Amino acid sequence: MVGLSEGEQEFIKGGIAQDLRSDGRKRYTYRPIYVETGVIPQANGSARVRMGSTDVIASVKAELGRPSAMQPDKGKVAIFVDCSPTAEPTFEGRGGEELSAELSSALQHCLLGGKSGAGAGIDLSSLVVVEGKVCWDLYIDGLVISSDGNLLDALGAAIKAALSNTGIPSVHVAAEAASDEQPEVDISDEEFLQFDTSGVPVITTLTKVGKHYIVDATLEEESQMSSAVSISINRQGHICGMIKRGGVGLDPSVILDMISVANFVSRQLMDKLDSEIAAADADEDES
Amino acid sequence: MRNLQLSFNQTQKVRLEKALERLESLSSKSNPNSCVTVGDTIPVYEDGILKGHGTSDQKGELAATVCGVVERINKLIYVRALRARYKPETGDIVIGRVIEVVPKRWKLEINFTQDAILMLSSMNLPDGIQRRRTAVDELNMRSIFTENDLVCAEVRSSQGDGSLQLQARNQKYGKLERGQLLTVDPYLVKRRKQHFHHLEEYGIDLIIGCNGYIWIGDHAEARDKMVVDQGSNSEQPIAKCDKNSMDLDEQDGTYTPQEARENICRIANAIRVLSRLGFNITVEVILETVNLSNSLNLDIHDMLGSEFYVLVAESEAERRSLSKRKR
Amino acid sequence: MEFVSPEGLRLDGRRPTEMRQLRAEIGNVAKADGSAVFEMGNTKVIAAVYGPREVQNKSQQMSDQALVRCEYSMANFSTGDRMRKPKGDRRSTEISLVIRQTMEACILTHLMPRSQIDIFVQVLQADGGTRSACINAATLALQDAGIPMRDIVTSCSAGYLNSTPLLDLNYVEDSAGGPDVTVGILPTLDKVTLLQMDAKLPTNTFEDVMQLAIEGCIAREYQAVGMPPGFMIDSHGKGIRSYNYVPDRYKVAKMQGLLNGNVYSNPTLVS
Repeated sequence: MVGLSEGEQEFIKGGIAQDLRSDGRKRYTYRPIYVETGVIPQANGSARVRMGSTDVIASVKAELGRPSAMQPDKGKVAIFVDCSPTAEPTFEGRGGEELSAELSSALQHCLLGGKSGAGAGIDLSSLVVVEGKVCWDLYIDGLVISSDGNLLDALGAAIKAALSNTGIPSVHVAAEAASDEQPEVDISDEEFLQFDTSGVPVITTLTKVGKHYIVDATLEEESQMSSAVSISINRQGHICGMIKRGGVGLDPSVILDMISVANFVSRQLMDKLDSEIAAADADEDES
Repeated sequence: MRNLQLSFNQTQKVRLEKALERLESLSSKSNPNSCVTVGDTIPVYEDGILKGHGTSDQKGELAATVCGVVERINKLIYVRALRARYKPETGDIVIGRVIEVVPKRWKLEINFTQDAILMLSSMNLPDGIQRRRTAVDELNMRSIFTENDLVCAEVRSSQGDGSLQLQARNQKYGKLERGQLLTVDPYLVKRRKQHFHHLEEYGIDLIIGCNGYIWIGDHAEARDKMVVDQGSNSEQPIAKCDKNSMDLDEQDGTYTPQEARENICRIANAIRVLSRLGFNITVEVILETVNLSNSLNLDIHDMLGSEFYVLVAESEAERRSLSKRKR
Repeated sequence: MEFVSPEGLRLDGRRPTEMRQLRAEIGNVAKADGSAVFEMGNTKVIAAVYGPREVQNKSQQMSDQALVRCEYSMANFSTGDRMRKPKGDRRSTEISLVIRQTMEACILTHLMPRSQIDIFVQVLQADGGTRSACINAATLALQDAGIPMRDIVTSCSAGYLNSTPLLDLNYVEDSAGGPDVTVGILPTLDKVTLLQMDAKLPTNTFEDVMQLAIEGCIAREYQAVGMPPGFMIDSHGKGIRSYNYVPDRYKVAKMQGLLNGNVYSNPTLVS
């Protein structure tokens, strides 16, 4: 973890109060974002997102499975995050597990909705092949390669980019089998269906330092936070999930204010991300 | 040039390449043989040479053990490694972070293979009197430097077992307050007469540590003001109480003034650009880069954009070609 | 199954003594002292080196040499079938050990007493030959970190299928159950530092396969960034034959950063 002297801590806090952070950014300015898609050819979809020195990879793998009995009309999505020791020597062995678990569960909250799968940022009903019998299981894996703060937003952006890059093979279902049997399916090698990502939200984390909050905090700034609120918002301006971290309590009115700030900031992030994803996809097609 | 995570457009790419090519052609050592990688044999032109750092004898031939540049001084041949941890030399001015306070000494992280040691006896005492260190002084060590503090000091000696001793027997050494620390590759910092710079027009202090740690902060008159420190320490508990209260009220007055902060950030970004381009970090080049950004009326954060990188590379090429012509 | 067609081509279109396309990149992890990405075909690994730095666990400190540690891990998405294995399974422990021993043998540890060097290798994609890829990536990362070494280590594997020695097996060929010889060499010193083989093989065939793997290593030493595919090695005669021979002795590290870094920060140019 970063250790900062009192003078440095003061300097960071003062910079946030004066709206001029250590690298010259304003409170609501992001570091430059770079997106690369198709980095893992073996996966159905993948993307690498870099924000400053933070570097993450997300991959999507689709496997055929059976929908759960509770939701026969929905596919399943699982999100796992791993923190590679390349990012931080303390992640060695089991050292990164706690952070990995925290990030995985935060992403599940922000993208997958509740247990019932209702209100999920990812459209689960589009994953069903035969209702109650066959569906796609999406395994989303995130990997942190280099870490300099704001991992959750970066992972969220990488997952969004990976999903937009995902091709799910089209499936031909053989003639109707008996109702209690598993139908025979034929997976096409050539035809792929693009995944509809228009509804996938972006995650915006507002880190509260002092009485102000900032976006895209670096590791040093994160060490000074009193609390942080991560809000996932989709194109329509709907909140798809939210999570608060940090020990210090927040005034409810502050949270409402944070939401309106997040709404504004996430719109910019979404536009930026969409244009980056489009550029990355074009790059990949070229090569 | 590593890690240059920027998206250049086509013209910028061409311009950057051109500037870099120009720099390369200006280099007096563009001779490709002077760059070696691990395992490369180094040609030897005379007998009785001395093998220096980064070389080893392999099957009667001199081979490099690190990637870098071959330097020949009389009979000594060594390889100057690029991108490595700091290689200390006595008298170097370094900046370190206190990792541990142990009896009679502080352990400092200075980007070396081990933590450096600053003995209590190698420090000027707060009262400024030369005397033996007493048990009371030892107990008060944390009031001088505590964990995570940034300290500026001088390399005193390095022992045979690789451990490193520091000293801070001067007013200008001591604790660094209020500002930011940048880290660059140590090879970008050259040893010079002056490593402390008080930039009066900006009202800030710039310390370029030989270990690649660079401090930019508010100007402090004499750094080693331990007496005053203890005075301000008594105010500390009050500030701490504030921090613990749920609603944090801050007095903007205690912060670095806006203008000084702008200067600090601008200089910091200039150093970031230079170090990412792999240019030497000297106070002249830094100020030149700052002036360039000022003359373009660039926003501080925009200095980290691709366009400014290209401009800095171009102006550096220009500067070097001018200085070469003069010679 | 037929792994070599009557025309002498393998499943992915390579000749028996042809290796996959190589690509390498240096300096991907900003915070690490050294880092490198190494790709061969679809196999892709990233290595990061931290140190030499103060030993974290004092009891492991050695007064006369540096402590070298290594951890190998595989990303969940690295294999064809998604897997979720706990960290530190036997296979990763074994590979960590192999990498550590191989690198320790070439690092000049006595120059950095009482310090610690951590090598972290992360597999992003596994398509056969991960062991070799990891060692190559670790070598590059160590060079990037400026850690003194006796020599670089290069590694390559070779197999024997359909009575033909094959260089640089991919996953399909690797899982065919034939022998797989992984060799690591110090090219300048001309020494073998790593040799592993499973399955049985007649002694004289083994000689051929090992020779092929060694020459694969030597060829790797000659590799350049983005070198065009079709790098060929003559498995019987000495030397390297290729239709895209790289004349100069280029190494990835030389290609990137280091060379440039030197030129710009040349002391004689600073006025």
